[in-house]
Amino acid sequence: MSDSVRLTLRAAIDQPIEIDGLTPDRTANLTEADIAALSVLAGSHRAALGDFFTVQGERSDRLHIEGDLRNVDGLGAGTASGELLVHGSAGRRVGAGMAGGWIDVRGDVGDDAGLGMHGGALRITGDAGDRLGAAPAGAAKGMSGGEIIVNGSAGAEAAARARRGLIAVGGNVGAEAARAIIAGTLVVFGGIGANPGRGSKRGSIVALGEIDIPSTYAYACSYQPTYVRLLLTYLYRRYGMDSPNGVLDGPYARYCGDAGNPGKGEILKFEQV
Amino acid sequence: MEIRGVFIQDTFAEAFGMRAARLVITARTHKWAREAALKLTGFATSVIACKCEAGIERELGPAETPDARPGVSVLFFTMDMDSLGKRLVERIGQTVLTCPTASCYDGLPEAADRLSAGRALRVFGDRLQMSKIVGGQRYWRIPVMEGECLIQESFGVQKKGVGGGNFLVLAVSADAALAAAEAAVKAIEGTPGIILPFPGGVVRSGSKVGARGYTGMIASTNDAYCPTVRPRTKSELPDGVNSVLEIVLDGLDAPAISRAMRAGIDAACRPGVRAIGAGNYGGKLGPYHFHLRQVMADE
Repeated sequence: MSDSVRLTLRAAIDQPIEIDGLTPDRTANLTEADIAALSVLAGSHRAALGDFFTVQGERSDRLHIEGDLRNVDGLGAGTASGELLVHGSAGRRVGAGMAGGWIDVRGDVGDDAGLGMHGGALRITGDAGDRLGAAPAGAAKGMSGGEIIVNGSAGAEAAARARRGLIAVGGNVGAEAARAIIAGTLVVFGGIGANPGRGSKRGSIVALGEIDIPSTYAYACSYQPTYVRLLLTYLYRRYGMDSPNGVLDGPYARYCGDAGNPGKGEILKFEQV
Repeated sequence: MEIRGVFIQDTFAEAFGMRAARLVITARTHKWAREAALKLTGFATSVIACKCEAGIERELGPAETPDARPGVSVLFFTMDMDSLGKRLVERIGQTVLTCPTASCYDGLPEAADRLSAGRALRVFGDRLQMSKIVGGQRYWRIPVMEGECLIQESFGVQKKGVGGGNFLVLAVSADAALAAAEAAVKAIEGTPGIILPFPGGVVRSGSKVGARGYTGMIASTNDAYCPTVRPRTKSELPDGVNSVLEIVLDGLDAPAISRAMRAGIDAACRPGVRAIGAGNYGGKLGPYHFHLRQVMADE
C-alpha cells in the first residue's frame, strides 16, 4: 500500500482518450500492475492505461494525475470516495456522475464536468466548459447532490436541470445558466449570460455580478438574506472563495420565477449600494 | 479538607442523565442574538416545573458562527428525547422565529442522534418556505414580515448530558453567601459545555424530594439547610451558618461538570464562608455522583 498512486502522462496525446472508471476508490484496491492494465478507449481502440501513463504506487485512494490532460476525458467519472488531484488541465466529463469523494483539478476542464453528479466535491481552479453540473443527454435531471466549485469561468448551461447540489463559479457563466433547474443553487461571482433560469421549477441563482433578469421573473423585494450570508461564508471557509466587499450584507433584490412553471425558483441579485 | 479556611464537606452532588442540545443563535448584532437567547432560555430553571432547563453557554464572535454574524451559544436540557424535540420546537418557534434578524443553527454537528426541530417549524411558512442544503446540512428559509428567518433543519442531541450538578455555599451571612456565589458563577461562566440554569446562576430554594406536610408534592424546601427553622427540623447547618446558596450546573458531560464545580468551589472559598456542601438524595436517584473532595483533588 502506498501513500498515493501517481500517474504521469508519458507524452502529449493528440487524440482524445477516455479513461472512465479510473477513480480513487478503485485504485484503493488495485496493484500497480492492475492499474497500468486498466482499459482506456483511444479513438475506436482499446488500450491499456500504462500505454499512456507511468504508474507509481498502489492500493491508495489518493490518486494524482499529471500532464497535459486536455485530451483525456472522463477523469474521475463515477468517483465514490477518495481523493483525485489532477495537476494540469483536463478534458471532458471530469467527475461526471461522481457520488462522493473529492476531485481537485489544478487547471481548466472541458465540457460536461460534474455532469449528473450526485455527491462529493469537484473543484476546478481554472475555467470549465459548457453544461457544468448539467444533465447527461436524454436525462431528466442534472446534478442531484454534491458541490462544484470553479474559480474561473464556466460556459453555457451551467446547472441546467440540476435537481439538488451547489455550483459556485468565481468568474462568469455563459448563456442559459440554470436552464430548467429543478432545485439546487448556482452562485456566480461574475456576470451571467443571457436567459438565466429559463423554465426553472425551483432552485436559486445567486448573482453577485451582472445579470439581466428575465421578464418571466417577478420582483419581490430588496432584503438581506441570511441564507446568502451563510452560503458565502461556507464557500470562503471550505473552499477559500473570497467574497467581494459588501456581498455578505447585501442588499439583494429577490425575483421569483420562472412564471411559466410553478414559479418557486428565485434569482437573488446583489444590489450595489 | 479545607481551602483557604473553608471546610469542604465529605459529601457528594447527585446528578441525573439528561438529553442535551446546543443551539447557536445569530443575529445582525450581539444585542439581538442575546435578546433571542434570553427569551429562549427564560423560565427554564428546572425540569420539575419548566419542562426543560436552558441557559446561555457563551457569546460567540462572527468567526465562530455559521453565517459570520455575532451569536450566542445556548444549551438546552430535558429528561428524554421526545420532550427535547417538543421543547425545541416550542421555544425556537416562539423566540428565534419571532426575533428580528435572528437565525438558529445546530451547535452539535457531530452528534449522531438528531431532532428535526427546524423541519417541524418550516410549516409556519405555509408552503412558501424554501429549503437549502449548505455543506451537507439542510436549512429552512421561512418567509416572515421582516424578510426571512433561517433555521437549520436538524439539531444534534448529546445523550450523555448531565443535569443537577451542584454545590452549596454555607456562609455566616446572606451577604457573604451571595458574594461567594457570585464569585463562583463568575468563575464558571463561559466554561465550555456548561450552563447555570437558575437566576444569575444561583438558587436560594434548594429542594428535597416530596414533602412531609403535603401529599402529592414532587419537591419541597430543603429544610435541613434553612437557617430560620433550624430548631424545628433536623438541621444540617454547622454552627455559625446563617445563609446557604446553591449553584446548580447542567453540562454536556460529567467531566465538564467536574471542571466547572472545581472552578466554582475554589472561587467560593472566601471570607465569610464556613463550608461547601452538596445536595444529594442518598445516592439512590441519580447515577452521577460528584464527590466534593475528589473533585477538588483532581487536576
